[in-house]
Amino acid sequence: MSLELDQESKRLGVVISGSLSKGIEVKLDSSASVEDMAVGRYVTIEGERRRFFGMITDIGLGVADPQITINPPDFSDPFIAEVMSGIAIYGSLSVMPLLTLSGDETSLLQGPQPVKTVPAHFSVVRTASQRDVELVFGQEGRERFFIGTPLDMETKVCLNLPVFVKRSNGIFGKAGTGKTFLTRLLLIGMLQSASAVNLIFDMHNEYGWAGTSESGHSVKGLKQLFPSKMALFTLDEESAKRRKVSADFVVRIGYDEIEPEDIEILRQTLNLTEASVQAVFELARQFGEESWIEKTIALQPGEASDLLDRLHIHEGTYRNLRRGLQKLQRLSFLVPRTSEKAVQKILSCLDQGTNVVLEFGSYRNDDAAHVLVANLLSRRIYEQYQRRTERALGEGSQSPRPLVITIEEAHKLLNPEVSKQTIFGTIAREMRKYNVTLLIVDQRPSGIDQEVMSQLGTKITCLLDNERDIDSVLAGVSGHNELRSVLAKLETKQQFLIFGHAVPMPAVLRTRDYGSTESYRELGLSGPAELKKKAEQDIEKLWGN
Amino acid sequence: MPLDLHRLMPQIEVMASKLKTAQEEQRQQLQRALDTLHKCDMAALKRKIATSRTTWLVADPMENPANFYDHVACPSDYCVVAADGSQIDIDRHSLAHCLLINLGAILLSYGSKPDAQLLSQPMLYSEQADLVIADPSAGRQETVQGPLLGLKRTIAECQLLVDLLRGLGNERPALGLLDGSLILWALERQTYETFVREAILDKGLLPSLATTKELSQSRMLALASYISYPGSTEVVNILRVALCPHDPADCDRYCWGKRQLGERPCDEVSGLRDRDLFYRVLKTGQRSALFMSRSSILKYYGEHQICFFYLCLEGEIARIELPIWVAQNKAALELTHSLILEQCRKGQGYPLALSEAHELAVVSGADREQFWQLVQASFVERHLPEQVSAKSYSKRTRWL
Amino acid sequence: MDKIAEVVESSTSQFTAQCYELHQAPPLGSLVKAGAGAVAVYAVVSQVITASVEPGRRAIARGKDEVDETAVYRENPQLLKLLRTDFTALVVGHRQETKLHHYLPPQPARLHSFVYVCEAQELQEFSQRFDCLSLLLAAQPAGLGDELIAAFLRQAAQAHQDHHKFLVAAGKELAVLLNGQTSRLNAILRRMKE
Repeated sequence: MSLELDQESKRLGVVISGSLSKGIEVKLDSSASVEDMAVGRYVTIEGERRRFFGMITDIGLGVADPQITINPPDFSDPFIAEVMSGIAIYGSLSVMPLLTLSGDETSLLQGPQPVKTVPAHFSVVRTASQRDVELVFGQEGRERFFIGTPLDMETKVCLNLPVFVKRSNGIFGKAGTGKTFLTRLLLIGMLQSASAVNLIFDMHNEYGWAGTSESGHSVKGLKQLFPSKMALFTLDEESAKRRKVSADFVVRIGYDEIEPEDIEILRQTLNLTEASVQAVFELARQFGEESWIEKTIALQPGEASDLLDRLHIHEGTYRNLRRGLQKLQRLSFLVPRTSEKAVQKILSCLDQGTNVVLEFGSYRNDDAAHVLVANLLSRRIYEQYQRRTERALGEGSQSPRPLVITIEEAHKLLNPEVSKQTIFGTIAREMRKYNVTLLIVDQRPSGIDQEVMSQLGTKITCLLDNERDIDSVLAGVSGHNELRSVLAKLETKQQFLIFGHAVPMPAVLRTRDYGSTESYRELGLSGPAELKKKAEQDIEKLWGN
Repeated sequence: MPLDLHRLMPQIEVMASKLKTAQEEQRQQLQRALDTLHKCDMAALKRKIATSRTTWLVADPMENPANFYDHVACPSDYCVVAADGSQIDIDRHSLAHCLLINLGAILLSYGSKPDAQLLSQPMLYSEQADLVIADPSAGRQETVQGPLLGLKRTIAECQLLVDLLRGLGNERPALGLLDGSLILWALERQTYETFVREAILDKGLLPSLATTKELSQSRMLALASYISYPGSTEVVNILRVALCPHDPADCDRYCWGKRQLGERPCDEVSGLRDRDLFYRVLKTGQRSALFMSRSSILKYYGEHQICFFYLCLEGEIARIELPIWVAQNKAALELTHSLILEQCRKGQGYPLALSEAHELAVVSGADREQFWQLVQASFVERHLPEQVSAKSYSKRTRWL
Repeated sequence: MDKIAEVVESSTSQFTAQCYELHQAPPLGSLVKAGAGAVAVYAVVSQVITASVEPGRRAIARGKDEVDETAVYRENPQLLKLLRTDFTALVVGHRQETKLHHYLPPQPARLHSFVYVCEAQELQEFSQRFDCLSLLLAAQPAGLGDELIAAFLRQAAQAHQDHHKFLVAAGKELAVLLNGQTSRLNAILRRMKE
C-alpha cells in the first residue's frame, strides 16, 4: 500500500539555488510541464541527508541562453519544441521548505521538524505523495479534524483541535469567499471533539438552525446537527418564529445590566462625543450603576438642567447623549429589567457542556446591537470565568471548561480605537489565562488592531485582494512574502490558506464538502429520526435543572 | 644562381620578330611546295629518286604523294596495346654500377567487354653481362649507356608489347603501339661496331617484328609507332628532287662549293618540314599517302622494311611508322588509321594508350632519389662500402 | 559482414580507407568499424573522395559526346583502374574484447586493417550513449561537424525501435552541448529529422 502511494509522487526537477530566507529555486525536468504546476501544491525534496517538505510559492520560466529570447526558435515544429524544453528552456519553481521529514533522530521520534537548513544542490524534487502529507499533517482522528484537502490531492489534512483552541484564532476572507462555511466546519469540529465549549454570537443567523450555502441551498445549522449539544438563544423572538426556528431561550437585557463601559464602547456606533461618554460616567455615579439609564432617559427637561449644571455637563453634550440613548431604546430586547438574567442562563449551559448560539434575528445589520450585546454578555461571562479560574487555582479544584467565543465582524469590536476597551481585546491579550479564547471571523482584517492580530494562534484566510488586508493577516509571519503570492492566487471559493499553531506548516486547502447528505454522514452525524429522539432527551436535560 | 631573365628578354624579343618574317617566307614556300606536289609524275619521280645522290634523306613514294584517305569506322570490339619505358642510367659517380629500366604497358579492350589492364615492370641490371654488350667472337664490349641504353630500352618495350599481343585471343582486332621511331637510326649515327648492331637488331628488334608478323597471319593484328610533332623532311625532299633541274640530281656534283644555301633551285621548298606541308594538304582525320623510308639502317631490316604516313589530327600532324607487311594489308592499314585516330580523340590529341603507358613507365625525380636511397640503405645494412665520387657529392648537395 | 575498404592512413583521431570498389564508399555519417578481431576501432564517415590514383593527375570531362555516364566508363576502360574512392572517418570509440568504449582508443587503427560497415544491431548498441557527439561537433572544417552529426543520428535512429524518442534524446544532449548557440542547434535539429 505504502509503495503504491510513494509511486504516486512524480519527479518534477532538481534544486538549483536558493536560501532559507528566500526559498529554494527548482528547475523543472522536461517531462514536467510548467503549465501543470500550481502555487500552493506540496513537494518533497530529497536532500543528501534529509527529506524536506515544502510548498510551491511561485512559478517562472527560465532560459539557458538569453539569446533564445531574442530569436525564439520555431516552436511550430514539435520535434524542436520537444528537444528544447527542459534544456534550453525550462520551467522553474520557487519552493518554500517548511519541514524536514526524516533523516535525523528527532524527526524519527517526534515527526516532522521545522526546517533549519536547505537541501544540497541538485536534490531531486518530487510532488508530495499522500503518505507524505499524512505524515506531516497527521491522520484523521478524534483530536484531528479533517478540514480540507491539498490542491489536486485527496489526502485529508487535519487540524489539531486541542492546539487550535488553546489560543485565539481568526478566519478571514473577502465577502462570499466561504468564511461562514469554514467557521461552521470548525465549530462542528470543536463540538464533535468536545475540546472546548462554544459561545457563538451568530450575527447573521447562519449557525444556529440553518444557513444558506453558496448556491443558495439551505444547509443544516448546529442545532439541527447536534440538538443535544446545542442551545439556541435568540434576541429576536419574532424573527425566529417567522423562520420557524425554535429557540431555547429569548434573551432580554435589562437597562440595569448596562454599565458605562458598555456605552463607552458604543461611542462611535451611537455617535456620542467624548464629552457625552464622560457624562455617562458622571450620571452613573450620580444615579447608581443599575438605574442610571432609566433615570437618565426619564429625566424631565427641568430636572435635567439642574443636574447638568451640578455635574458640569454641557447642554449640547446632554442632547447628544439623549439622542444616543434613544437609539438604544429602539432595541426591543432592551427592557428596563429582567428576571432571568441571560448571562446566568448562558453560563449554566456552558457549565453543562452545552454550546450556545445567540441569534440576532432582525438585528443582524444593527451595529449597536452587535457591539452592545456581544460585549456586554462576554464581559460578564469573562468576569465569571476569571473568578472561577482563580478560585480553582487557589483551591486546587477543577477549572471551568475552556470556552471559545466566536464573533463575526470583529473589526467593529477589535479596531485599534476600541480594542483596548472591549472585553475582546482583553481576552485576546490575556490568551488562555482564564480558559477563554476567541474565534474571530472578519472580512476586513486591516480594521483589526495589529496587537490582537499578532496574538492569534492560527489564521485561516480565504481570498483577500486588498493589500492592507493581506498585510495585516501576514504581518510577522515567517515567509510572508512567499505566502503573499499564494494568498493572492487562491480561488474565490472553496480554497483557503491556513497557517499557525494548529498546523505543522502553512497549507492551501480545498474546503471539505459540507451540505450534502454524504457530508453529514461523514461528519458522523445521525439521521433525522434518531436526531429527534436524542433532541427530546437533551432538551429535558437542558431544562431539567 | 637563377637565370638572368633581364638579360635574356631582349634576345627573346629579337627571336620573336625574326620568326614573324620567317613566317611570311614560309607561306610562300608552302605554296610552291603544294604546286609542285600536285604536278608530280609518279613513275619519273620514283626513277629519279632511285638514281639521285642527295646529301639529305629522301623518302620513296609508294603511291602518288598527293593522295589522301579518309578514315573508316572503328570495329565494335577491339584492343589497343601500348608499351613505353624509361630509365635510370648508370651513374658513374654513384654507389653502385647498375641501370634501371622501367617499362609500362596498358592493354585496353573496347566494345562489349570493356577492360583495362595496367602493367609496370621495373628491371634492375647490375650483372656485368647486362651492363655491356659483348662481342661473342672477340673480347670487345660496349657499355650500355647513353644512346645505347635508349636502344636497349626500345627493344625491351617492343618485346613487352609483342608478348602482350601474343597473349591476346584472336577474337578481336588489335593494334600495338610504340612511341618514337621504329627506324633505329641511332645505330647508324653512333659508329657502333657490327656486334652491337647485331645485338640490337638481329637479336633484339627484328625477332619481335617477325613474331608479330607471324601472329598477324592468323588474326587481325597491326603494329605501328607514333611520332608526335615530327621534324622529318623526307617528303619535302621528294619535292626538292622534283624541283632539281638535274636528272639524276647530285648535290655534291652540282651544288657543293658552287652555290650557297638559299640559291639552289630546290631551296624554294627547302625550309619546310613534312608536317607543315601535310597540314595544308590533309583535313582532320585524313591520312597521307604511304612512303617508304630510305634510311640506310633499313638495309639490315630485311623483310621488315619500315614505311610511314602522316596523319592529320586536330591542330597537328603526326607521323605513323609501320612495317611494310602491315601497310600492304589494307584491313590492317585501315585499322591502324582508325584506331590511332580514336585513341587520339580519347586522349586529348595524343594516343591515350601511349600516354597511359608513359605514366606507368615514367620515373620521376623523387622516384629516382628514392631508388638511390633504397640502394644505399640496403648497402648499409650489409655493411658495404659507399663509394661516392666527389663530383657526384658536389652535385647532390648544394653547399655554400 | 563483408569488408568494404582497407585502412591506408591512420592516426588517433581519424583514419582514411581505400574502398575495394570504385564509388562504393559508405554514406556520410555511417558508423564503420576497422578491424574485426579483439580490438576494433569505430568511426563515423566524414569525407568521401573519388580521385585519380596518382596525385598529380586530375580527372577531365570525357562525356561530351556520350549518351550517359556509363558510356564514359565503357569508352574509357582505363578509368576504373586509374581512379580510386577513399573515405575518411573520425574515430568515435573502440571495442576491447566485448567492452565498448566511447572514447578515443589508446592506439590508432592499424594500417591495412579491413573496414566494415556496422549493421543495425551494432549501430543500436553503439548509439545508446551520446558521448561521440562532442567529438563530432569539433570536426574541421567548420560546419562539417554539424552535417556529420545530423547524418549519423538520422541513420542511428533507424536502428532503434522508437525513432522519435531516440532523436529527442539526442537532441536534448545536443542542446546541452550547444548552449548559447541556438541557431546552430536549430540547424542541426532540422537536419536530424527524416
